[in-house]
Amino acid sequence: MDQSQRPKGILHSLGEEIIRIITPVSICMFLVVILVSILDADSSSSPSFTTIATIAYDETTSDTEWDKFKGALLNSLVFVTVVTLVTFLLVLLFYFRCTGFLKYYMGFSAFLVLGFMGGEIALFLIQVFNFAIDCFTYVLLLFNFTIVGVLAVFMSKIPIFLTQSYMVIIGVLTAYWFTMLPEWTTWVLLVAMALYDLAAVLLPVGPLRLLVELAISRDEDIPALVYEARPIIDHGNTTIVQRRVWREPVNPESHIESSQNEVSIANVEQGQGDELRAPLMEPLGENMVLEGIGLGASGAIKLGLGDFIFYSVLVGRAAMYDFMTVYACYLAIIAGLGITLILLALYQKALPALPVSVLLGVLFYVLTRVFLEEFIVQCSSNLLMF
Amino acid sequence: MSNSSTSFSSSVHGVERERERERERERERERMERSSEEVTPSEAAVLITPRTDPIRGDDRNGNLNPISTASSLRAEWPTIDGPLGLSEQDSVGYARKFFGFGFILLPMLWAVNCYYFWPVLRNSRSFPRIRPYVVGSAIGVTIFTAMLASWALTFTIGGERLFGHTWDELVMYNVADRYGLTGWI
Repeated sequence: MDQSQRPKGILHSLGEEIIRIITPVSICMFLVVILVSILDADSSSSPSFTTIATIAYDETTSDTEWDKFKGALLNSLVFVTVVTLVTFLLVLLFYFRCTGFLKYYMGFSAFLVLGFMGGEIALFLIQVFNFAIDCFTYVLLLFNFTIVGVLAVFMSKIPIFLTQSYMVIIGVLTAYWFTMLPEWTTWVLLVAMALYDLAAVLLPVGPLRLLVELAISRDEDIPALVYEARPIIDHGNTTIVQRRVWREPVNPESHIESSQNEVSIANVEQGQGDELRAPLMEPLGENMVLEGIGLGASGAIKLGLGDFIFYSVLVGRAAMYDFMTVYACYLAIIAGLGITLILLALYQKALPALPVSVLLGVLFYVLTRVFLEEFIVQCSSNLLMF
Repeated sequence: MSNSSTSFSSSVHGVERERERERERERERERMERSSEEVTPSEAAVLITPRTDPIRGDDRNGNLNPISTASSLRAEWPTIDGPLGLSEQDSVGYARKFFGFGFILLPMLWAVNCYYFWPVLRNSRSFPRIRPYVVGSAIGVTIFTAMLASWALTFTIGGERLFGHTWDELVMYNVADRYGLTGWI
């Protein structure tokens, strides 16, 4: 009887782990698409919205495409430079053991995102639906929501479901903010961030790689906004698996994942936007030692919040064009995520989760918009298919 | 209690994590001992039975075996996360803190408390130390929600007929327009 459970156990746990990471990513993308579709109308009337991502060039609809492209390149360059500098600053702070400061900063940025960004999007929704709520109730609900969210990010002993939900919500709010950038800037920015992620995690001088190596050598936790999937508990053995598995010194091949993604939506006038990318983590293998008991499950998969955000930005931008591009980009991103997980299992080290998905997503968006749409429209209007 | 206070002001991760690890190891050891005890009587009793899957949270383990100390095993984990959540000693301080902080107009903390300690609410005779706080939180949430819902519904449904001019001043979308709250993004 035990034997028959074993093979089912491995497949069951592997599939369940993958599902436990794909589900929140899909939910995040879905919510952003819904938000974008409801709160539409910003596609043509982009308000002069100066942030750090549009500081070099403010796109207007009257420029030629080449000008827009050049402006977008400049914007992305500025943004990636700022992100690199901030990540190096983070590495420095972590090196000097200012983890307390980092944790407080993380809580503060979560407060800003949930309080201000969340409040504003709630106001947009109230205006669109003409929902007659009074200001006292609204303030009270927002206050509760924000405080519990900050606690969920800050403390470690909150129900797992609540922490995960708040991570997804923070991802949704930040991604919605990013979709308000001008179009060309968004696309070039996505590609630039994918390339940056590739460089920062894989190059030996990359800041994220330094951060992760520091964290491993000290056996500490990086204070970061990370989505952590619920670890699988093997029912056969009822062993508790440690969640922070990557810090097991026994296994030298442990993969780590650190994702620090903080976006502080500060003043529009000053135009600040900090953000840090992060690689994807892989669960530890079966050779983990736990006081001599038989193991079972591996650790949980962790995915950085930045990955959530950029995937959702891609899909949100695709939603601003049409739903056809949304489907294509969603499939591309999920395929990219699957490929990244496979690569992770092969290479057993920290990997960037952005490049494959984002590059595939952008490719599919362009192909769909240029070729597929034309094809489908022609077929439909001639009553040939669909 | 010192454990819960460090969990609130955790400035050094390493220390917290070590304690967590130790606690988890203790729990595992306890549990493996207990489960090995349970398995042998049941296997001896029935000839060909697969080892029954202990359901997550191990709530049923105690019930299956009448010999085992039912009260301590029946609800082993006070939190809804089961073995991933808090142990019983930590939970008391945690529940008390959440219950206390809920009084500053934070009913959501009470709701989180009830959700997190759902096993405590369900079994009415277990965890005598945690139970008062969780029950208090549940009562608090119901009362607060009732009051808030009645006010909000009165406001929404009553509208201008009931409140007159002040309705326009209180309703959120007008407040947002008046103070330009949606303009700065």
